[in-house]
Amino acid sequence: MVRLLAAVLLAALTTAAPADDSGAPARYSYVLGTDISFVNASGHPSWVSGSGGKLRYDGDSDGLTISHAFADYRFRIADTLDATVVANMYNDDIDDSIDFTQAYLEWRPLTLSPNRYRVKIGGFYPRLSMENRGAAWTSPYTISSSAINTWIGEEIRIFGAELSVSRRLQAFGGGHTVSVHAAAFRDNDPAGGLIAWKGWSLHDRQTRFRDTLPLPPLPQIQPDGFFWRQDPFFIPFQENDDELGFYAGAEWQYQNRFLLRATIYDNRADPRSVVNRQYAWYTEFSHLGLQATLPGEVGLIAQWMSGETVMGPEIRGAHVVDNAYASYFVLLTRAFDRHRVSIRYDDFEITEADRVPLDENAEDGDAWTLAYRYQFNDTFSVAAEWLQIHSERPAWAYNDLAVSQTETQLQLSVLLRVGNR
Amino acid sequence: METELVAVFNRLAKLVAASMIMAIGFADAVHAGEMRVTVLDNEGRPVPGVAVYVEDATPSSAPAGTSAIMDQVEQRFVPHLLVVQTGTLVEFPNSDIVAHHVYSFSHPNHFKLPIYKGHAHAPVSFNENGLVVLGCNIHDHMLAYILVVDTPVFATTDDDGVAMLDAQHGENATVSIWNPRIRDDADNLSVSVDAVDHDTAVAFNLVKPLRAPHHDHSKALSWSDY
Repeated sequence: MVRLLAAVLLAALTTAAPADDSGAPARYSYVLGTDISFVNASGHPSWVSGSGGKLRYDGDSDGLTISHAFADYRFRIADTLDATVVANMYNDDIDDSIDFTQAYLEWRPLTLSPNRYRVKIGGFYPRLSMENRGAAWTSPYTISSSAINTWIGEEIRIFGAELSVSRRLQAFGGGHTVSVHAAAFRDNDPAGGLIAWKGWSLHDRQTRFRDTLPLPPLPQIQPDGFFWRQDPFFIPFQENDDELGFYAGAEWQYQNRFLLRATIYDNRADPRSVVNRQYAWYTEFSHLGLQATLPGEVGLIAQWMSGETVMGPEIRGAHVVDNAYASYFVLLTRAFDRHRVSIRYDDFEITEADRVPLDENAEDGDAWTLAYRYQFNDTFSVAAEWLQIHSERPAWAYNDLAVSQTETQLQLSVLLRVGNR
Repeated sequence: METELVAVFNRLAKLVAASMIMAIGFADAVHAGEMRVTVLDNEGRPVPGVAVYVEDATPSSAPAGTSAIMDQVEQRFVPHLLVVQTGTLVEFPNSDIVAHHVYSFSHPNHFKLPIYKGHAHAPVSFNENGLVVLGCNIHDHMLAYILVVDTPVFATTDDDGVAMLDAQHGENATVSIWNPRIRDDADNLSVSVDAVDHDTAVAFNLVKPLRAPHHDHSKALSWSDY
């Protein structure tokens, strides 16, 4: 960690030289980033430390920490072909080494056609989040992502190929663009296990390719429990059944004023499969995203998701574990010169549809996030975020935690960014 | 009360400004060989940034060496609409710190410039009249237009919706207007010069509401999947 921080600082000092003003630009572009944070949190012990709390931090982690470090690097192989790799580092109990969250090729052919084609191959995020648009999938608005995008960062990744086709509709003056995209992927079969056994969370920790995440110490996943075949550590990115999953979506964008995005995801996993002590979870969801610039230059982002995840064979007409999950959030943001203020409301729930009472996964909650950011220059910003989650989760009783809980987290961060992008 | 006063003041200011413009207009009208073209929207408000050009029976290309600039600043093309005569050399400097990949698929003036920064490429010569829609293959939101016309007589309306044109032209001349915001039928966008007195004013009164102005820059939100 210290070495990476030193590298970032060194890069900050050495890349202060002015950019080359003419000719072919550098073949590579990159952003290196580090967030140094003061954290104060209360509520259940965090899931990151192997408990059931929804926040990344808890009372034990109060104080100063290097909360995030990343390298986002893009290499131009040809004018229409890029390779991107994103490496992340988190200072926590899960693993403090460096690992990748994204690595992919993107081809953007320029064909003499009104259609624009894009092909992505590798490991990358599906087109869902409207918050995580900064380098390394960070959010320019808040430190912690919404419940929906936190979950995507935890469990969802596309290891496969995505094709997108977009077209600017000249008939309406060129302001409207429509696009459709579809992808086939593998290695996402356990996705769903975390939302069932841990539930929704709000934080900024993305799962790296080889991360193994702690599950809450539920009795049913202990060696003498009903789901004894599950390892206490969860691996979201692996292939269980050699069946491809898919996701598909469509977008309509009107200038930089309005964007509507609809997506379906289905990992088509065989819910009876167990490989490497990880169950496969058959997980599907529908998702809608909306982004608009409101009068007064207020930015609005809203996302909604509803889906189902099932695991195990069918017993009495339902799978052993069958959970419906849903969430939405509304975020308002406004930039005042170098200041930015954002406010977000999240609502989330999980409902049980199975008939196995010993594995209760239902929950219901909501959250408020208030965030402020001040950008001194391209290199230094400061951020403050207050986040409060109210939720009720009966499964907390398995581990003698209060089933109704208010979790609060205050995070003050210095954000350091260097690069040529 | 205060807002009413402000409104009254604004109205007065507009009246004064309008009469000044009219005075200037009358003064201009005295100069021989100038044509004053006004473009007003369906509610009578001036429309700025409209291309206005006068074509006659004999198309003419720009003299060799005529040049124009389509810049790229803060991930926007500047200007949003550029009018040039056929044969004009258009430079595409990139004033951003990020690279751009500029292209157009508009037949027959299609072209693409390899990814670049600064003044990397020789200017592009547009030898056929018509509309050239520009894009950037890296930044999908970037959009601009180059209108290539067969005449040296063209201008763009100012904030008062007014363009002053040289009225010298040959037989069967027409004055035409174009802007991506305009939705009117083509027959409302061009008029025979013979139908109006030379050296006077031509007014285009649009009947359909305008499309919203192009908005490819937003401080509120990030729009590109970077």
